Amino acid sequence: MSTPENMLELRGVSKSFGGLTAVDSVDLDVKRGQIFSIIGPNGAGKTTVFNLITGIYKPTAGDILLDGLSLSTLTPDRVVKRGITRTFQNIRLFNNMTVLENVLVGLHTTLPGNLFSIVLHLPNYTRAERAAHERAIELLSFFGPSLVDRRDEYAANLSYAERRRVEIARALGAGPKLLLLDEPTAGMNDAETAEAVQYIQQLRTAFNLTILLIEHKLQVTMGISDRIAVLDYGRKIAEGSAAEIQQNEQVIEAYLGRKATVE
Amino acid sequence: MSVRVQQAKDKRTTSASVRSRVDAYLDGTMVGKNPLRWYITGWRLGLIAVIGALIFPQVAGSQSLIVTAITIGIYVMLALGLNIVVGFAGLLDLGYVAFYVIGSYTAAVGSFGAIQLSNNQIVHIPIFPFWLLLALGAVLAGLFGALLGAPTLRLRGDYLAIVTLGFGEIVPTVFQNLPYFYGQLGISALPPGDINLPTGTISFSNPLDYSPFYYLTLALVVLITVVVILLRDSSVGRAWVAIREDETAAAASGVNLVRTKLLAFGLGATIGGVGGALNAAFTTSITPLDFNFIISITILIMIVLGGLGSVPGVIVGAILLRFFDVYLLGQINDWVHKFPLVANAGTPLHFLAAVDFNASKYLIYGVILVAMILLRPQGLIPNIRRKMELKGEGAAPESFSAVGIVEREEQGLSMGGAGSEDETLYEGAGSDAQRQEEGGE
Repeated sequence: MSTPENMLELRGVSKSFGGLTAVDSVDLDVKRGQIFSIIGPNGAGKTTVFNLITGIYKPTAGDILLDGLSLSTLTPDRVVKRGITRTFQNIRLFNNMTVLENVLVGLHTTLPGNLFSIVLHLPNYTRAERAAHERAIELLSFFGPSLVDRRDEYAANLSYAERRRVEIARALGAGPKLLLLDEPTAGMNDAETAEAVQYIQQLRTAFNLTILLIEHKLQVTMGISDRIAVLDYGRKIAEGSAAEIQQNEQVIEAYLGRKATVE
Repeated sequence: MSVRVQQAKDKRTTSASVRSRVDAYLDGTMVGKNPLRWYITGWRLGLIAVIGALIFPQVAGSQSLIVTAITIGIYVMLALGLNIVVGFAGLLDLGYVAFYVIGSYTAAVGSFGAIQLSNNQIVHIPIFPFWLLLALGAVLAGLFGALLGAPTLRLRGDYLAIVTLGFGEIVPTVFQNLPYFYGQLGISALPPGDINLPTGTISFSNPLDYSPFYYLTLALVVLITVVVILLRDSSVGRAWVAIREDETAAAASGVNLVRTKLLAFGLGATIGGVGGALNAAFTTSITPLDFNFIISITILIMIVLGGLGSVPGVIVGAILLRFFDVYLLGQINDWVHKFPLVANAGTPLHFLAAVDFNASKYLIYGVILVAMILLRPQGLIPNIRRKMELKGEGAAPESFSAVGIVEREEQGLSMGGAGSEDETLYEGAGSDAQRQEEGGE
C-alpha cells in the first residue's frame, strides 16, 4: 500500500481512553509536499490524531507509517529524529527561556549527545553549538527582523502572534520533513490570520515541507489546503479537495446540524 | 564589529537588514551575548572567591575554623549536586542523602579493608588508596542515582518527592542492616595517605594542621563548580530547563526525556558520592545514624536559601547555613548565655539561660525557610529565570486567548477519562502538564 508519494499513512488508527473512543479507525494518506488539513467540530479528535502521530499517545489499534516505516512504538523524541515536528494548539513555549533558547531546544537533535564532549566543550560540541546558534537565528529571521532582535527576550514577554512564530521556528529546528501545525491561527485577528496563511505557504517551499494542519477557520483551510479530511466523533467522515468538502452533505451536517426537511 | 559598520548595514533593504543582524549576532558571538563573556565577568568574582579561599587557612588562626570550612566545603558539593536535580531539571528529590551514604560507605569499606559476615567472621578485602575510593564512590553513587532515578521517571511533583524520600530512608537502613557493615557501630575510614614531595610531606591526617585537607576540599569544590557551570551552559543544561518548563513540549522538540532525566539524577548523585567519600575520609568514622532525612532537607534548604538553579546562590546558601550550623550557632549560644541580662538570676531575660540554641537548630532552619518563601522566594542570589517565574511575569499570554474554552474542550477529550494517563510514560507526562494548564485558565 505504501507508495513513494505517500509521506505519512495512518492505517486504521484508533485510540480509546477508558470507555471513550477518541479516534476510531482513521485512515489518512498524506502525500509528499501537500498541505493536508484536518478539520472537524470541537472534540472530534483532531489533536488526539496529532498526539498519536508525534508519539505522545500510543494508538490502541492500527499503525502510523512515515515513508513506509512504523512510528507507533516510538517515543516523541525518536519521532522528531524521524522528521516530524509539531506546534501545539495552546502554544507550549518554554516561557522562562529566551526566544533563542527556545529555538535551540528545537535544535537539540542536531547537537552531539556525548557527555564528555559536552562537559569539556570539545571542538565538535562547540562547533555544533555555534552552528545551532546560526541556524536558530536563520530560522527566526524567516519571520522578519523583529524576532531576531528580540532573541534574548523571554518567550513569556512576546505577543501572541510572535509566540506562534517562535513555536514554529522551534519546530523547524530539528529539520523536519513533515510539520504538524495545530490551529496556527487560533486566537488571531483577520490581519494576523492572513499573515499566518501567507507564511505557512512560504514555509512549505522554503523548507521543502509537507504540512499537516488542524484548523478551525474554514476560510483558512479552504484557501491553502491541497486536501482536507473531516473528523467527527473520532471517525473520518469525508476526505477530498476543498471544493468537494464544501459540497459534502455529511460535513455540512456535522458543522451545522441536519437540514430541516419540509414534507 | 564596530557600531558604525552595523548601522551602515541596517540601512540596507529589509532582507539585507535581517542578514546584517544575523551577521552582527554571529560576529558578536565570541564577545557579545555569549556565555563566554559571562564567563569572563562572572569568573572574576569566582576568582576573587577562590583567592580568598586559598589564603583563608593562613588568616583563620584556629584549626577549628579550618575544620568548619572543610565541612562547609563538603556541603557546598552536596548542594551543587542536588541543585542539578532540583534546580536545573526541576525534579524534587528528597532522598539525596542516599548518595552521600553510598559515597561514604564506599570510601570507608575500601580504606578499612574488612567486612563482617553474618556469623561475625571478619573477611579482609583489599585496601584501596583514597584517591581510587573517591572515584569509586562517585561512580557507584552515580550508578545508583541512575538506577534509583529510573523507576521515578513517570512521576512528577509530590509523587516523585515521596518516592525519593523513601530511597533516602531505605539506603541508610540497608547499610545498617546488611551484615557486612557492622550495623550501628559503623565503620572506620582512613584519611588520604601522605604524599611525599621532594620539598616535604603533605599529611592529610595531622590534627595540628588541617590545611592540606582543606585545600583538597577546595580543589574538589572548584572542580565540581566548573563542571556544573559548563553543564548548565550546555545543550544538556538547556534540555533540563526545557523539561522543567514543559516536559511534553521538550519531548516534542526532540529532547530524550529518559536520558536527560537520568543524566540529572546520575550526575547529581555522582557529586553526592564525592561529598560522601570526602566526608568519610575526613571524619574517619561513619555510622548509619549519621545519615538521616534531615540531611536531605538541610541541603534542600541550602539551595532554596541561596536560589534554586543559581550556582553562586547555591554555594552561598550552603556556606551560610553550614557556617551558621557548625560555628555561629554555638557562638550565639555562648554569647546569649553570657549576656548580663540573661546570665544573672532575676533579670527579665533570665529564662533564655535555660534555652539551648544548638538544640533549636531545626526550629531556626524552619523559620529561615518560611521567611525566605515569604520575603524572597527566589533566593539570595536568584537564578534569573526563577525570579521571573516567581514574580508571575512568566504567565503565558495564552490565558487571555479567545480560544481558551475550545482548547479546554479539545484537551478534555484527548485526555480522556480517568485511568488514561498511566498508559504510557508520555501520556502521563502530557496529561499532567495539560491539567496544570487547565487549572491556570
